[in-house]
Amino acid sequence: MTEQNSTAPAIAVEDLWQVFGENAASALRDARGAGDDLAVVETLKGKHLIPAVRAANFEVKSGELFVIMGLSGSGKSTLIRCISRLIEPTAGSVHIDGEDILKASEKRLIDLRRNKLGMVFQHFGLFPHMTVADNVGFPLKMQGAGKAERRKRAFEVLDLVGLTGREDAYPRNLSGGQRQRVGIARSLAVNPDIWFLDEPFSALDPLIRRQLQDEFLNIQATLKKSIVFITHDIQEALKLADRIAIMRDGEVVQIGTPEDIVLRPVDDYVREFTRDVPKGRHACVESVMLDQVPETMPDDPKLRVGMTLSTALEKCMDLYEPVPVWDAAGNMVGAVHPAELAAALHVDDGTGTDCE
Amino acid sequence: MTSLPQEETGPWRTLSRGAKAALLVLAVGITCRLLGAQFDWLVGWPDALTVPMTDWVGATVGWFLSVFKPLARAFSQLLSYPMEWVGAALRSAPWPLVVGAVTAIGWLIGGLRLAALGFFGLGFVVISGYWVEGMNTLALVTVSVPLAAFLGMAIGILAFEVPRLKGAVNGLLDVMQTVPAFAYLTPLIVLFGFGPVVGLIASAIYAAPPMARNVLLGLERVDEEIREAAVMSGGTRRQQLFLIEIPAASQQIMVGFNQCLMAALSMVIIAAVIGGFEDIGWEVLLTMRKAQFGPAFLAGSVIVVFAVVIDRMSAALAEQRVAQSKRVALAIFAVGAAVALWSVLANWNPSGVAMLDGLAQTVDTGVGTFTASNGATLDAVKNTSMFYGLLPLRIGLADAVLPFTWGFKWTAVHTMVFFAVAAVIGGGLALRGQVTAGVVVVIAALFLEIGVAQAPWPLVVIGAAALGWVASGWSLVRLVVVLLGLILLSGLWERALLSLYLSGASVAACAVVGGVLGFLSATSARVWAVVRPICDMLQTIPMFVFLIPVLMFFQIGEFSAFLAICMYAVVPMIRYTRQGLISTPEDMIEAATASGAGKWQTMFEVRAPYAAPTILLGLNQTILYAFAMLVIAALIGTTGLGQSIYLALGQADVGLGVTAGAAMAILALVADRLVQGFAEERRKALGL
Repeated sequence: MTEQNSTAPAIAVEDLWQVFGENAASALRDARGAGDDLAVVETLKGKHLIPAVRAANFEVKSGELFVIMGLSGSGKSTLIRCISRLIEPTAGSVHIDGEDILKASEKRLIDLRRNKLGMVFQHFGLFPHMTVADNVGFPLKMQGAGKAERRKRAFEVLDLVGLTGREDAYPRNLSGGQRQRVGIARSLAVNPDIWFLDEPFSALDPLIRRQLQDEFLNIQATLKKSIVFITHDIQEALKLADRIAIMRDGEVVQIGTPEDIVLRPVDDYVREFTRDVPKGRHACVESVMLDQVPETMPDDPKLRVGMTLSTALEKCMDLYEPVPVWDAAGNMVGAVHPAELAAALHVDDGTGTDCE
Repeated sequence: MTSLPQEETGPWRTLSRGAKAALLVLAVGITCRLLGAQFDWLVGWPDALTVPMTDWVGATVGWFLSVFKPLARAFSQLLSYPMEWVGAALRSAPWPLVVGAVTAIGWLIGGLRLAALGFFGLGFVVISGYWVEGMNTLALVTVSVPLAAFLGMAIGILAFEVPRLKGAVNGLLDVMQTVPAFAYLTPLIVLFGFGPVVGLIASAIYAAPPMARNVLLGLERVDEEIREAAVMSGGTRRQQLFLIEIPAASQQIMVGFNQCLMAALSMVIIAAVIGGFEDIGWEVLLTMRKAQFGPAFLAGSVIVVFAVVIDRMSAALAEQRVAQSKRVALAIFAVGAAVALWSVLANWNPSGVAMLDGLAQTVDTGVGTFTASNGATLDAVKNTSMFYGLLPLRIGLADAVLPFTWGFKWTAVHTMVFFAVAAVIGGGLALRGQVTAGVVVVIAALFLEIGVAQAPWPLVVIGAAALGWVASGWSLVRLVVVLLGLILLSGLWERALLSLYLSGASVAACAVVGGVLGFLSATSARVWAVVRPICDMLQTIPMFVFLIPVLMFFQIGEFSAFLAICMYAVVPMIRYTRQGLISTPEDMIEAATASGAGKWQTMFEVRAPYAAPTILLGLNQTILYAFAMLVIAALIGTTGLGQSIYLALGQADVGLGVTAGAAMAILALVADRLVQGFAEERRKALGL
């Protein structure tokens, strides 16, 4: 859905390094003269420096939902903070809409943040001394918007996230799910082009998490932001992403569509992640098509290109008639329809039934 | 830095760090004890090696002060205006107006409870007959607290914004808080001249550090995500700080404000010793000097009431609270104003009221009768503690044991027997594997025989250095030796030892009493229900007031000072001991229970070791409290540095005042670092 309307990349990350420790920059410079990335990492570790992000390279297309997935400590939070320049990367470059933001002045950075960038935090980062509406209106206040305008816009975005009526509550009066709705609303208040979400749903209960994921997808369907989304949950990544980058020990090990990740993992590490994933939900019929079309095919359940494996399986089951069920003594106790079996296995995850 | 000395062969190698240090100290102690008679320089630091540090300091600081004097006098003049205005306003405002205002504020902050506190508290002041004096004190606090809060806020923000300054600022705050209250006053008197403004400035300086610390702490504790959210919202650094970080840290900052208020009140009252102002502290001092215990008690109660009202109201600010109706507050204030109008028309004035003079009289006669009828008992308590506890500790058994107290004369034979017993106990412990404990027993015996105030300087310096080495290594040893060396050079060593003895005795008593009370409070909720309000009360009362009750019953003297110090310093020991014992993680308790440990086994095997670092911190606080109170107690009879500081104050002797104050701060600082070192070491050992 993004390929067609993509223009210049919204975000381009090139050879980005983040090394923690004393004199990291010069140590990295020296080490990189010596050899390839692996050797560099070894050298840095020998000096008790921590390479949290290693030579990250990727682009996020305009309107794309780009998910960075990895376990805790894999460097994904550091990476998103480098891109938003909440911390200064040790080396490399980050271009946002063609502008190198690592070279942006403090003033320009403030300007960008006031107009172009929005961010949602794992633990919400709500200001405890402000009401919900004041929290949401805060980025507008920074822009210099007047009180009435801030309130009006706050009500709009709060409506968008389904929090109408709670405008004058304080964060401490809200549940976790509601708090994150406020966080989302705040990040959308200035209508940013680029949207950073740092594990926005990880601190929530599974049920609330799914609800918010669905709403998030709805919002994105109308707003079409360019998004960098961090998660440690492979199911969440597969459900939301246009493309996924998988990180391990600060290194991006694979970038690909959900189908790529599930069906064509580059190594055992990625494979391990996707082991419990029902592949039927993320792969399409094309991925299992035979090399040669058989001579005769008596049945035709009308499979289409782009149909997920689960849906295709369900369609095929429709061809069978109901079958009997027997008890231990050999008596028939009832009958089931194969299609029902397939339907029972199918999980309605709200993402539709097409791969693309 | 912390590497052990060269490994040697033989039993030396198997000894623990503590045992090695203890053996070294013992060797030094025995040498000094045996050779002290022949070589004087082994006991007292030779005068020839002292430098006239007090003169130097006096000259330097004096020159420095004289440079700034015109500026300071102008500043003092400037400050005297708001103080006069506030004072005049509070004095001339009809009392019902003030009572109404405070009650209304109480309502706004904490509803009925605090409104009642404000009403009855101020009501008590009205009927006590100390209204004008009370208002004068309040005026000082009203002017000094905004100064202190602003100063503290600025220091805290500066330390937070410029990380390079943080270490220096923290060091400065440490020194500001360990320098005894009186020591501030002497240079300030020279700088600003006598008068209430000195008290004002002293209290602003004294009250700023807690504010600064809490501002810094609060800012550092602001959630990283909140900080980042402010950045991502496009705030400039100033916007982030003032719109987000400071409001987000407001609870911690209010805790600081509470401490700032209490420190300012405490200092304002202490500053009364320089006189010149009709405030409540002066009233206490005056009546105490005249041995009018009734009025002293009444005036002291007024101070306590002020302290309680200010403390509870400002503490409530730091808590999350429900908003109270502003209309009710307005109504309360209106009632106050109406009564005020009536009182003005009826020409009714509280300064003539002294409804409680009867009470004062009763207290006075009551105390008189009590001391008269129980004089023998009180004297017995005092003398027993003095002759069998404090005196031997101070001048050693060899000098303290006299026929008319102990019934016999201490001779060389007694010394031999005493050391033989100590050696047997120590040796027994050593044989059972407790080498360190064994050696420490013998060292303690040595100190007891010689007396702390007469302890040879090598023993004290090397003993402290050895403790530093065991606690955290060579860097602490260097610090301890350099700091104590400064006192030796200054010629104040003997007085420092006297201070060390009295604070040491008080701390030891506090450790035992506070430890036991803390332990009981941890095991029984009922005990805690009794102990807790007492602790709250003792912590609210300004230091000065502790002198009143001890004076009533035990007159002027070292024992009274000892008691006052203990009352003031025991609270942290109780609190931290209890806190340490009850805060053992639940899973550890469960594991102990599952292993079949009983209640007491769990207490001694699991809770106590886990609580050790916390209890050590409590001890540390107790030590600092004791040093702070030691100087105040100089008013009722202590010797040593506290007395010197107090004398210097009377003579405006900057050199002596500053040097003795610094020596006091050094003692406190050394004790603080040693105990902190041990606490840190325990925490590491527990993996905390």
